[in-house]
Amino acid sequence: MMNNIAVGLGEIKISRDPDDVLVAFGLGSCVGIGVYDPVAHVAGMLHAVLPKQNDANAPLTGKFVDTGIPLLLDEVVKAGGVRSRFKIKMAGGANIMGSPNVSTIFDIGNRNVESARAVFKNLGIRVEREEVGGHIGRTVRLYTLDGRMTFRVMGGKEEDL
Amino acid sequence: MKHELSPELLRRLQEIISYGFENAARGFAGMVGEKLSVVQPVVRAVPLQEIPILLGGAENDAVGIYLRIEGDMIGQIMLIIPIEKAFSIVDMLMEQAEGTTQKLGQMERSALAEVGNLTGSFFLNAVAEITRYEMRPSPPAVMVDMVGAMLDVIIATMGSIGDEVLMFQATFVFAERETRTDFWIVPDPNTLDKLIAAGEK
Repeated sequence: MMNNIAVGLGEIKISRDPDDVLVAFGLGSCVGIGVYDPVAHVAGMLHAVLPKQNDANAPLTGKFVDTGIPLLLDEVVKAGGVRSRFKIKMAGGANIMGSPNVSTIFDIGNRNVESARAVFKNLGIRVEREEVGGHIGRTVRLYTLDGRMTFRVMGGKEEDL
Repeated sequence: MKHELSPELLRRLQEIISYGFENAARGFAGMVGEKLSVVQPVVRAVPLQEIPILLGGAENDAVGIYLRIEGDMIGQIMLIIPIEKAFSIVDMLMEQAEGTTQKLGQMERSALAEVGNLTGSFFLNAVAEITRYEMRPSPPAVMVDMVGAMLDVIIATMGSIGDEVLMFQATFVFAERETRTDFWIVPDPNTLDKLIAAGEK
């Protein structure tokens, strides 16, 4: 029996239970980042909303890509994961407002993705797969059992990432 | 930014907003030619995590009609309509038999954009009448996607996130059918003081 654990806006969730599936529902410009240690079978997911935390004095949270990623990695290590074994995948970062009328609004999805790539590059960590950008929302799942990560778009089927 | 609203002020704000929602419903009803009532217009600070739940789940398919508020006050307007209901609204607008519309092409989207335009303008006109602020809606954008993805637009546009978002919400219920349309107004935190000042008058 699979057990969905919702990863809400700005949240980080960790699981070691093979029945758990970490799910970020309906990602638009937000990014979902999944970390998996295939030996310790620890899974972690971040649902980050904005690219950068500007207030240096505020407590670190999963709301921001740049501060959320290190937090996510730390949490997975705390739960028994080993950094050198991490498999990392990323999805989301879309710009779903296709209309040219309002597109003067900066493309936050793209900026989220760029911010994540920069953070991983700094940390010297490779992102194995990405399903990012475009103009469509995605639901992203990470299975604790085997580290499989999937995405689904509106009206579509679940596909492996 | 944290706004402490006294019960008296909250009541006054609620009055202003309710007046706006009532007028918006008149515009909406007039356009689609169906009676509708406004249920529970509320002013409230909603915890971020709860927003998708309030809208029936982040993964639900829906149509979002989105406008920005420009002028003396800045904010965002989002009408969220369950996808099936959006089809039937299009049928009403285009005077077609119910069930004719099965997907949203350019023509259908532009009809829905007009609904958003009219509803948003009616809302802003009513609020402007009370507050004397000058406001206008941007051209509408129509999105068809998961509810969560559309909410990202609102949150990303705010540019920052606290733990709570102040929202004015009303649900339009159509007299004939058991369907609803959620109408959300999200004031920009930086111009919220102006609205509060108007409430204090």
